[in-house]
Order: sequence, then structure tokens, then C-alpha cells
Amino acid sequence: MKKLLFVALLLAGNSGWHSGWLSAQEPAKKVIAISGARLLTVSHGTIENGVLVMADGKIAAVGEKGKVSIPKGAQIVDAHGMTVYPGLIDPETNFGLIEIESDQNSRDLAEPSDEIMPNMHVADAFHAETELIPVARLNGITNAVVAPASDDTIAGQDIFIQLAGADRDAMMLGRDVALAMNFGAAQRRRGAHAAFPSTRMGLIAQLRQTFLDVQDYIARRDAAAAKKDNPADVKKEDAKKDDKAEKPFKRDLKLEALIPYLKGERPVVIGVYEGYDIETIMELAQEFHLKVVLNHVTHSQEILDKIAAWKVPVILGSIYDLPRANERFDAVYTLPAELAKRGVKIAISSADAGGPVSSHSSRNLPYAAGFAVAYGLPYDEALKAITLNVAQMFGFGDSLGSLDVGKTANVVMANGDPLDVRTEVKQVYIQGLAVPMVTRQTKLRDEYSK
Amino acid sequence: MAVAVAGAALAGMAVAQSAQTPAQDIVFKNATVMTASHGTIEHGSVWVHAGKIAGVGASVSAPAGAAVVDATGMWLTPGIVDPHSHSALDSDVNEATSPVTPSMHMIDAFDNRDKALYLALAGGVTTELLLHGSANMIGGQAVVIKNKVGLDRDAMLFPNAPGSIKFASGENPKRVYGGRNQLPSTRMGNFEVMRQAFEDAKEYMATQDAYRAKVAKGDKDAVAPKRDLKLEALADVLRGKLYVQIHCYRADEFLTEEAIAHEYGYKIRAFHHALEMYKVADRIAPEQTAIATFSDWWGFKDEAWDAIPWNAVMSMRKGVKVALKSDSNDHIRRLNQEAGKMVHYGGATEDEAIRMVTLNPAWIIGVDRQTGSIDVGKDADLVLWNHDPLSTYARAQKVYIDGDLFFDSSLPGLGTPHFSGVMHGDSDEGSEDGEDGR
Repeated sequence: MKKLLFVALLLAGNSGWHSGWLSAQEPAKKVIAISGARLLTVSHGTIENGVLVMADGKIAAVGEKGKVSIPKGAQIVDAHGMTVYPGLIDPETNFGLIEIESDQNSRDLAEPSDEIMPNMHVADAFHAETELIPVARLNGITNAVVAPASDDTIAGQDIFIQLAGADRDAMMLGRDVALAMNFGAAQRRRGAHAAFPSTRMGLIAQLRQTFLDVQDYIARRDAAAAKKDNPADVKKEDAKKDDKAEKPFKRDLKLEALIPYLKGERPVVIGVYEGYDIETIMELAQEFHLKVVLNHVTHSQEILDKIAAWKVPVILGSIYDLPRANERFDAVYTLPAELAKRGVKIAISSADAGGPVSSHSSRNLPYAAGFAVAYGLPYDEALKAITLNVAQMFGFGDSLGSLDVGKTANVVMANGDPLDVRTEVKQVYIQGLAVPMVTRQTKLRDEYSK
Repeated sequence: MAVAVAGAALAGMAVAQSAQTPAQDIVFKNATVMTASHGTIEHGSVWVHAGKIAGVGASVSAPAGAAVVDATGMWLTPGIVDPHSHSALDSDVNEATSPVTPSMHMIDAFDNRDKALYLALAGGVTTELLLHGSANMIGGQAVVIKNKVGLDRDAMLFPNAPGSIKFASGENPKRVYGGRNQLPSTRMGNFEVMRQAFEDAKEYMATQDAYRAKVAKGDKDAVAPKRDLKLEALADVLRGKLYVQIHCYRADEFLTEEAIAHEYGYKIRAFHHALEMYKVADRIAPEQTAIATFSDWWGFKDEAWDAIPWNAVMSMRKGVKVALKSDSNDHIRRLNQEAGKMVHYGGATEDEAIRMVTLNPAWIIGVDRQTGSIDVGKDADLVLWNHDPLSTYARAQKVYIDGDLFFDSSLPGLGTPHFSGVMHGDSDEGSEDGEDGR
């Protein structure tokens, strides 16, 4: 540990605790072997007294001590008594879209001027240098989905990030990886500026019209492209039609943004809380063959079998949302276990997990998963729900989420059970490099501990 | 006047209390007993007699007829105490129409059927301080409850609990009144509003004293001054009759608040939130002002920007009494886990951690002689857990208040032996400072 600490301090420098530290490290190409730890592989069980080798940013070897050869010259980290697991992945955050909750200037959470905003790209607002990222990283979060807030039925498109990288672009492992949709009472336009759609009927009618418009748009765009490819046809066609047809095809960014989702090429994450709202929005989603990931489903206790039958993955969060009056205290706590029991692939998000704002409390993601264990979710499923399952839902299952050879070496070493609040993360590795365990908060701690 | 209210409540209380005191003795056997006052007893026993703790140790001499609870593999702790809750007030948290409202009494808004009380009970919470919000520099007077879900309102009041009054400072008052172009809109304005209130109270007290002096001298023409509820409440602060609980985040403001307290001669019982206490803990420790803080909340407003999760343990190490609190209908359900985080952030011992959600908050409320630890003579407010309560995995199995079982997770339905009606509240109110408001 001493050696690591030294490296960390060296890197910390002036602004080294920011995300950009990795750029200084890229030439290093160090080989690190973590030896003697309990390895929670996620994909193939637990290895007591294991060895994990990281080289060139990837996991190069993983297995029992003695059965894994450690390359000469590797830096060996004695990790006896430590638990090592893949970096945690938070399936819903606002990283880089907010800094201080009450400060409007620091908020780029959602564009509520219209309900249909698929052309809002989180990538355009992502502030990679946010202080929130190192704070989450310190507790072992290495990757996350960044989504817009839930003001709109179609709020925008998510990014998938790594919580360290040379710069913004290196941290964004994927842009427009998913469409953020929402349905329920919160999206109705009510209050002082009431307007259509002010009811659920309005919201659904507007969504259906939008999807039809996209289908129409695809047809017109393809037709225009076909004409372009075949000028002879254009002449023939033009002769038949009025002047309008001569106009060049104009791109519509809003409709264009929805095309990959209507083709089922990328996931649509639908944030929805009530059972009856889930049934309504799923009907629409199935009508248009959307590739659905359900999100929240807080009050879905009565339609769990139905959700399982749809065979859609579900993000659960917050597990801390309150049950309804006269519901049993654990009605929401038990949802992860109840869905997993029915064969649903689940992820658990940090949303509200330990603070007033989801992204500030992303560091509590493992405790939300642990709480699901307290209420019946098998431990392995809980760990999967904040690692491999999330990676798979967002298209990173081949590179992240488990301790397997060839995957990106985003690895965490802690002094105990990762899901327990008492456990302290001792070292985070991102792309096989020891991340400085420094944040604005540790600096304040150290300054006032002198 | 605060005393009068408490007195009236107590009269009703006595009847309800005697009806609820269980006749049978209880013995918990073979539990891991976390006493909060004198360490942890492995394979320990606790004897409950007439609603009080009658014995605790490796063995106890309970009578043969006692009901035995086999607690093998379980943990027994004192009931969790939350020193900062706005639960069950039906959104009537802030009388935000004037920055000085000391004659507001939270009991007048208390809805004893609010589901938040049940959810907290299921998380092991047996005592709560229900506070006025932080819109006003001087808010209202708190009510202390025992979380006896199912009993009537007055039977839920904590007997003989001292009165507390809520003060605030910083961003909230200046935002509320500054937003209306009223005083205060700055921290300078905040504190001046407070000083002026105490000057008014001093004048009021002087008028009363002069009248009493006249009466004492036998002056039959002496005219009694008109009673003013607001000024009487402030006079109670200056007379030391009310515990002062101050919502305060920033290091400089702790110092200003202490200076004003010295200037007017009252004591500050606790700073609430207190996220920057780690910066000045050595200055505050000699004042014997405690803190009721969040474990790890940060970044929700400017004055929470320097919050660090090591605050609680760092402040404790410098001699400040530290409690963790919820300020939230959500977090109140798992304060035990918030205590567990302190093992991680700063290395609190298990003893120190459990005290932060039991004995220390009981001290802040002023009920530490009655509850907050497992000691002979104290109220039998006890929680039986299936797992180490400082871990993520603990579930409260049974919750006893005054020796009576108020929550039992093995029961069907809500698990509430004393409650089988309809609960109120789906507004999910209860966090006053920073809940997302979704």
C-alpha cells in the first residue's frame, strides 16, 4: 500500500484529483499484480487468495494464487485481507450536469421547454471536471450512465462514462447510448403555465404522434436519398409533382434523433413509477417495438409477473423511495429480490441513495445493493446489479463489469465486503492504473486534520 | 407557557401510559447487547420490568414467569433516537411569514397517523424531536415523541421531555425573506433580526419584573402588562427554559451564534446540520454545544459545499458530542446504517458509532436520563436486529417502547400490534432541507 500511496500523492499534484490525471499516466504502461486478495469476479464466482494481473489497461490474468504467473517486473500489490472486485457502474446519474443543487448556474439537467427533446445530447453539457466524479470514484464507482433529469417524456440521450480519463472525450466511452424517456404524473404540464399535454392521455397521444412522425420522416428521408442516388428518377418524379417536391430534403434533428430507437438499435430507458403507468407506456413501447429498459418501477408490486413476462431489463432505484400509506414498510425494499426471483435482469441505481441528490450520493451505490440483499436479493445478484448487468444493458458487457481476462482493468480493492457501509475502499484502478485516492473532500479532511 | 403545554399533555399521558404498561416481565437471552453506554455484551441478557430496564449483563435475575425472547444470533440495541425530524407535520413545517415565530408549537401540527412514523418505527426509531423548519431565524417550539404507532396523540408525547426551540441561520432565512425583499436578505440581516428579537424580549422581561416588584411592594394600582406569547417564548430562551437547537452549516456562523448566545446569556444545546464543524470543533467543544449532523450529505447548496463525510468523527475526536440525524422521512428509516458509515469514515468504534444514533441524540433532546442506552432504570426502548445494526444488512425484527411491543416484522400486514387502521400521508414530505421534491 505504501508504494501506491506514493504514486497517488505524486499524481495528485495541483489538480491531479480531477478526472484528467490519466493523461499524465498513459506512457507508463505499468504491469500491476494484485496478490492474495479475495476476488469477486462477478462472472465466475469468488476466488479466495487470488491473483489479478493488469497490463496495458486490461485485465491480463485472473485466478488462484500459484496458478497465475506474474510477469517479471510487475509491481506486486500485497492484498491479503483485501477484497477485489470490478469497478461499480451506476446506471443513472447526473454527473457533469450539476454541481451544487441549489445553484441554477450549475444545473444542465433537462430542457423542459418541450416534452419531446430527443435531440438533447448529454454529451454537449457533460462537465468532465465536476467534483462529483472523484467523490464517487473514491468509493469504487468507475463507470456510470449520465442521463438528463425526468422533466420531459423524452428528455434526451445518455452518455456512458468512465470516471477517469485524459479528457472529456476519453471519459465518454459512449455518446447517445440510450434514450431517456419518462412517463407519469411528473411530466404533465400543469400549474401556472398549464398547456397540452396536461394529462396522461395528452402525453401518450403526443408520444404516439411523434413516433408516427419519425416513421414518416424515415420514409421521406429514404425517398429523398433514393432520388439523389438516381437522378433520372428525380426528373421523372419532378415532372409529375408540384413545386414543393423540388425543395431539398430538410433535416429535422428531433425526428432524426429518434430513428435508431424506433429501429430498436439502442435501448430506451423509461422512467416510470406506478404500475398502471408502466402498463400504459409498455403498450406504446411494444406498438413501436422499442428496446425497453424499465427504470424505477417503485410501485409495481401488483404487476411483477407481467414485468417478468415482458422480458425487459429493469433498473431499480431508488430502493429508498417510500412505500404508499398503508403499504408494508418493506414494499419497495423487496422489489429487487422479487424481480430477480422472477428471472428479470436487474440493475440498481444510486438515485437518492444517501443524500438529497442522486449524483452527489452515487458513492452510496453499493449500499443500495447491500440493502436489497438485506431484503432477500441473493448477494451475487446484487453485485451483478451494479456491475455486469449494467454494462450489458448499455452495450459494454464485453469490456466491463467483471474480472475477466481481456476486459478493461477497472478494478477496486477494499478492506472488506463492498456492499457494507463499514467497508473502506483502499485503492481504485482505472484502465489498470492506481487512481489518486484524493478528492476535494479528502483535501479538506487532511487540511483540518493537521 | 411551554411548560403549560407540556403539563396539559402530561395529564392526558398518565392515563394512556398506565394502560399501556405491560404487566409481564420480558427477558432477552443470548443477544449481542450493544448498550451504547458501557460497551457490547456478547451472549448477554436484558430484563424488562414494568416498562423499564431492570437488568442487563451476562445474566440477569428475572422472575420465573417472565416472557423469554431467545435472541440467539441477534443484536439488541437501545431504540434509535432522531434529534431532527419533520415527520408527521402534514407539511406544516415552516410558519414562514415572519423571521421570528417562537410561539409556534409543533404539537399543533402533529398528525399521529402519518405513515412516516410507522416507517421510522420499522427502522428502529423510538424517539423523535419534531422540529420547526429553518425558514425563520427563530422558529417554533419542538415536540418530543415516543414512536408508539397506534396510540393516540397525547400518548405518543415523551413524558417530562424538556422544551426545545428551533433557530436557523445562513441561506434559508435570507433566501425566504430576501426573496420577498424583506429583512433579512443577508447573514448580517439574519443575525440583526435575532439580536433585535432578544432586545425586545429583554424589555418585555424588564416590564414584567417592574410589575412584579410593584406587586411585591403592595402597590394596588399596579397594572399587569399585556401578555405577549412571542416575547414570553423568547424570555423563556433568555431564562434558560428552552433548549436552543440551531440549524447552522458554516464554521463562521457557529462562532457568531456562540458569541450572540454569550451576549444574551443563553446556551446552545446543539447545532443541526453543522457540516463545517470539523473546521472549528476545538473552538466549539468548550461550549458543550453538541451537533446533529448528516453522515455524508453534501453539495445540495452553497453552504453544504465543504461538507465531508469525516465531519462527525473529526468533530467527536476534538471533544464535540456528535449525533446523526435524518431530516428526512427516508433516512430516518436507516439511521443505524448512517452510524455504520462512521466506522468507515474516520474509524469510529462500534460503541462510538451506535452512540451517535442513541445516547447522543437523546442528550441533545434532553431525554438521556430516560432513554438512549441499555442501563438499569431507563425506559425499555429496545430494538432487536437480525444482523449487526451497523452493517448494511440489519433489519429491525422487534421494536419495544416502554417495554411494549410496537413493531414485530414477523407479524403479517404492517407488523404493528397496536395499529390496524388507515395511515395518512402520501405527500412524502418530511425533509425540509434538500429533499429532491420529485
